[in-house]
Amino acid sequence: MNGIDTPIVFYPLCALTILFAVAAISFRNIFHSLLSAIMVFFLVGVLFYVLGSEYNAVIQIAVYGLAVPVILGLAIMFTNLKKDENKASSKLTFATLFTGGLFAIAVLSIIRFALGEVDFYGVNPISAMSAFGSGIFIKYVWAFELMSLILTIIVVGLSLFKKEGRCRK
Amino acid sequence: MQEITIYNYLFLGLLLFVIGIVGSILSKHVIKVLISIEFILTGVNINFITFATFCDSVSFDGYLFTLFYVGIGAVELAVALYIFYLMYNKKQSENIENYGDL
Repeated sequence: MNGIDTPIVFYPLCALTILFAVAAISFRNIFHSLLSAIMVFFLVGVLFYVLGSEYNAVIQIAVYGLAVPVILGLAIMFTNLKKDENKASSKLTFATLFTGGLFAIAVLSIIRFALGEVDFYGVNPISAMSAFGSGIFIKYVWAFELMSLILTIIVVGLSLFKKEGRCRK
Repeated sequence: MQEITIYNYLFLGLLLFVIGIVGSILSKHVIKVLISIEFILTGVNINFITFATFCDSVSFDGYLFTLFYVGIGAVELAVALYIFYLMYNKKQSENIENYGDL
């Protein structure tokens, strides 16, 4: 399996994932934790891509890397009523953004360099997608329908929950 | 350099799982606990994908289970956040110790 068993891809991804995961649970500022968690979810999406599951990589990045952080950020903004006491100065903010940008560029170039060296198709993508389709629509069709039913129930339930709260008020 | 095997990927999943468990036990902030629970789910997803890639090259069932898991995990997070938001209106606190009487 080419790409999957290449250390130059795996070790940086693994190190960055663990580093950001530890940072996410150890930061005191909840917003910094959220940013680290976003990095973890993105890196895990890249790992899925390396493992040959492009579809899961796209879903991981779209759902966990983009949608879930938006919900979490909204929850933080709705609930964080306290004023930020220790505001960073503009110079410190600029320095943080600058070094963060440099770090991101360095990581991206390392990953791009690593990706250019190896062939990523350890798993045949056509057979994987065909297995995906037959699994969703034939083998696990009831599980798939059950999941969509659960999603619908939750959407309806949350809206009813909101109405119930309004009536009690 | 040593080649990467299935055990390396499983170990990464285990590490994420343990980090999530430790974070969900030690954190006081509700949203940080939810993020840690998502780490646990992500560790499990890595194991699913790894086993599907290395051991099951015909039906790729692990890919499908990951898809279901991502959907259910996102919904679970949305419900948990909504309950937290409703409780926060009463408690005015983000500390998880104040949410014992849910």
